Amino acid sequence: MSVSIEIPDKPGGAPALGGVIQSMGRDRTLLEMAIMTAVFLALWPVIGQHRVTDFMVFCILVLSFDLLYGYMGRLSFGHVLYYGTGGYMFSVFINYATPNPLLGMVVGIVAAMVVAMAVGLIVSRADGAPFSLTNLAFNQIGVFCALSAFAEWTKGDNGLPSTKMQPVWFLDFLQKPVNFWFSLFWLLLVFYFLKRLTRSPYGLLVRSIKEDESRVRFLGYNTFFYKWLTYVISCTLAGLAGVLITLNYTFVSPHAMDPNSNLDIIFASLLGGAGNLYGAIVGGILYQLIKNFLPMWVSDWEAFLGIVLLILVFNFRKGVTGFVVDRLAGRNAASMQPRGGEAR
Amino acid sequence: MLDVKEIDVYYGHAKVLHDVSLSVNQGEMTFVIGRNGAGKTTLLKTICGVRAPGKGSITYDGQEIAGVPAEKVARRGIRMVAQDKRVFGSLTVRGNIELAAYAANESVSKSVDKVVSLYPKLKDLLHLKASSLSGGQREILLIGRALVGEPKLLLIDEPTEGLAVVVIEDIFRILGEMKSRVSAVIVEQNLSIVSRLADRVFIMKEGKIEKTISEKAEIANTRELERYL
Repeated sequence: MSVSIEIPDKPGGAPALGGVIQSMGRDRTLLEMAIMTAVFLALWPVIGQHRVTDFMVFCILVLSFDLLYGYMGRLSFGHVLYYGTGGYMFSVFINYATPNPLLGMVVGIVAAMVVAMAVGLIVSRADGAPFSLTNLAFNQIGVFCALSAFAEWTKGDNGLPSTKMQPVWFLDFLQKPVNFWFSLFWLLLVFYFLKRLTRSPYGLLVRSIKEDESRVRFLGYNTFFYKWLTYVISCTLAGLAGVLITLNYTFVSPHAMDPNSNLDIIFASLLGGAGNLYGAIVGGILYQLIKNFLPMWVSDWEAFLGIVLLILVFNFRKGVTGFVVDRLAGRNAASMQPRGGEAR
Repeated sequence: MLDVKEIDVYYGHAKVLHDVSLSVNQGEMTFVIGRNGAGKTTLLKTICGVRAPGKGSITYDGQEIAGVPAEKVARRGIRMVAQDKRVFGSLTVRGNIELAAYAANESVSKSVDKVVSLYPKLKDLLHLKASSLSGGQREILLIGRALVGEPKLLLIDEPTEGLAVVVIEDIFRILGEMKSRVSAVIVEQNLSIVSRLADRVFIMKEGKIEKTISEKAEIANTRELERYL
């Protein structure tokens, strides 16, 4: 399965987000969401509910990264800045404002978005290595803020618990099953949103920027604005993932925005197949399975990951999903060929 | 319509255009010819906003556009078709046209019809990835895409370079049909096309406009034009 672009034959108008709404419906999205739900429910008894929740949140993070890297071709080494920002602002709000987790969630997501809006004004002017490294620099600034500059609120190295949060209606986030269903709900919603977005005229534009930005400008598009907007959307979703992981652990620490964690996301994206939402989900699950279970049998498991990464880069550029799709496409093409070579 | 006055353009410290001036009138199809390195592509890039001149002015419909970003120049009705024939290869042919349609506030079906009318064979190729098109088909798609949304001025860089004779004839026909609808500045080395379509020819040499030819008889004299290539 690969995400194909289906553009509605709409009358004029810039590729605004309104186009997203027009492209809704008439496809297999609901079936795919049901399959995803079934997969995570099947994993629950095998690896435990808490861990599956972790997996789902990680998948949201990889999905958000895929919009930036897979679709727009901008490789960020600082994506976890927003993951950490979401988590920290949620916890800070719970501890110092009010213990309402839903309000805290809004604060965490909005905070990530505001930071992305500001940082995006700078990083969206760059691409290639400067883009990656500028993001890394901002990530380091974020770590510094969490560890030192705002240690009075963040508690520095010790991290900040959010156990003070109170239930809202039936949503008691101190209960693990609530976190599972809540994270699943958000994963499905993010998947659905990104699928609509990437299939809309806006998605078409984002993919074109990846291919050749100057040609997109020749058509009259202000590519800076669209790069900035995509950055903000992507980072806001990373902030959502940060809030959800903090809900699951009721704790956030500087580790949440450790720059090394960016490698986890990049690895998962490459493993599943960048530029492909299914790839982000598959990569997210596979990477978490490797990271969680491989160390039980292999002491130097990171070396194994390195070897896998080399194989991916040199032989499986489209990741697991792309490989499977190509194999299936090849088999279908072969089955379409007339059989036998006998002249009749 | 377009008035380029005494522009100098630099790549770093190297001056590549020296006091270049030219003008294009409404509905006029002009050609720029000259040897490699004469500054023809740089001239188009400067008009379309990719490069900013160090000196001089470029006015279009009475407004200064020197140094204005490429997207803003495009929105004012100037479209650039670059030399390298690069389409958005991961999109379908239709996707390429749609992208232009959204930018130009034109309906997708109208845009697709417009491009297909230029080259009816494209109708069967609309669903294919643009990367699968031949060089000639790509050039036609690029010219068609540039015509989406009724632009006023096209800048086309070497449209027939590296193409088979059959396709060159198709492009000649398309440029001919275009002539009545839009002004153009076309960099071209194929003198057969230049002599048949040009209203005016600018000859460039070493970053300068060496000569401007407006006389029909002189334009039709390809042997004379050949001296400048």
